Amino acid sequence: MKKQIIPFAIPGLSLLLMLLLTSFALANEKSFLDTIKKTVKPFDARSVKKVRPVTRKTVLALEEYRGGSFRVLARKQEIKRYKCSNCHGEKPVLVKQGFELTHGNVIINHGRAGNELSCIDCHSEDDRDFLEDKKGRKIDFDHSYKLCGQCHFRQKRDWLGGAHGKRVSNWAGERVIYNCASCHNPHSPRFSKRFPATYSVPLN
Amino acid sequence: MSSPKKNEKQTVIQDVLEKPSSRRSFLKGASIAMAAGSAALATGCMATGDTTTSEEMKLRWQEYFKKHYRLMTAEEKKETVKRLERLAKIQNDLDVQIGTDPPIENVLYGYAFNISRCEGFMECVAACVKENNLDRKTNTQYIRIFEMEPGKLDPSTGDGQFYHKVPVENKFYMGVQCFHCENAPCIKACPTKATWREPDGIVVVDYNWCIGCRYCQAACPYFGRRFNWSQGEVPKEELTTKQHYLGNRRRPKGKMEKCTFCIQRTRKGRLPACVEACPTGSRVFGNLLDPESEIRFVLEHKKVFRMKENIGTEPKFWYFID
Ligand code: SF4
Ligand code: SF4
Repeated sequence: MKKQIIPFAIPGLSLLLMLLLTSFALANEKSFLDTIKKTVKPFDARSVKKVRPVTRKTVLALEEYRGGSFRVLARKQEIKRYKCSNCHGEKPVLVKQGFELTHGNVIINHGRAGNELSCIDCHSEDDRDFLEDKKGRKIDFDHSYKLCGQCHFRQKRDWLGGAHGKRVSNWAGERVIYNCASCHNPHSPRFSKRFPATYSVPLN
Repeated sequence: MSSPKKNEKQTVIQDVLEKPSSRRSFLKGASIAMAAGSAALATGCMATGDTTTSEEMKLRWQEYFKKHYRLMTAEEKKETVKRLERLAKIQNDLDVQIGTDPPIENVLYGYAFNISRCEGFMECVAACVKENNLDRKTNTQYIRIFEMEPGKLDPSTGDGQFYHKVPVENKFYMGVQCFHCENAPCIKACPTKATWREPDGIVVVDYNWCIGCRYCQAACPYFGRRFNWSQGEVPKEELTTKQHYLGNRRRPKGKMEKCTFCIQRTRKGRLPACVEACPTGSRVFGNLLDPESEIRFVLEHKKVFRMKENIGTEPKFWYFID
């Protein structure tokens, strides 16, 4: 009987022993995060064979990602009235074409209230087939991230790294990501309010 | 059915059942009984309908006695997959393809969720239901989205049942699903080893070895597991036919299921359905062992945290803030 009581008679010691043992165990036990941090060799994502090819049109980005080059979804073929120079040229414009040609459907909700952007803040004034940044450099519609990034530089840095925007369909294979205008309407970039796609049910 | 024929069948079954035998000779005897065209034998173990053919019975019989997935040889995996595909054809006239893709080497999957960008649209939930053939009758969902008050970070304080226009001013949204813990309590709780972690980090369930005790559900601190109260029902035209043995294949009644990071897609290099469907890009998925991956960028450059980090489950699912 007495023998069994002994360990409890010196709680200080057993507690100390327990603490020592657990701290030893913890020090020994490596978190999987350590393993992750230690892996510095890039994984060859293109070695994953079965990725589904991206069928939408893409272009090689003009900037570098951490692992080198990457592709973005092309934009131009999705713009209904591109090329803009078809209308924005020397040709005279008839009155009855007025509504269509003056882009009456475009509502600009971009920029601080009361200080909304105007068309030529982004579009080139002399060559409508291009965008133009603040330094007067022409930017192709397919590479609009160059334009958006001059104000939204934090988002652009995240987009290049992969914390903003996302890949198209595959995590492996060649890196193909969404362009700014693939998700955001450039004239009204905020997502509008709407009902959720579905509703939650109580857990079982 | 004429009665002499029935009697003949019953004697075969009785023979099999009453002869003192080891499990092996029992199985042998049983397969003779099967060959005799007996469907009645199996009624004790499996429910049968009138339309059951002897081929179907045979397949179901073989399925019933198959091994744990991790003990199967490549050949046995192939056979069970073939049986399951054939059964889907016989029972529901479905052409499904069930894969057994193994983990990709040097890949450990990780997931990150941007709580400052999610707007509560729930496209992810809808895509997950569709991709994983979740039961439409009981409305099973793997993902939950909580509408949260600013400053709170525990989903149980949020509203998990909202249905109104989103986003709501001054609220934020937090998605919860299985976090594929490195140190998963659900695995430790399972008495039959029906659930385990694959080398690529995905926590899976062998539906045939799960006994439905739900210990894992009780052990999971994160709303991660779902129970099949009934045999799942999916409209034929909405069925995802590209399946994985450990993923979105048909789950029997009374078994546990859960998010598998869309194992049927991710092992082919594709993104999980929820990531692909998210219109705001709040969901980031990738290979943690690749220093150039997006997920690693998030871990290195963003303020990240995991839920209930102090309990030591080591989830492979991070939340981050822009
Ligand atoms: S989140 Fe729950 S179900 Fe998923 S691995 Fe962790 S304990 Fe298991
Ligand atoms: S319900 Fe299935 S997976 Fe969960 S603990 Fe029980 S046997 Fe294991």
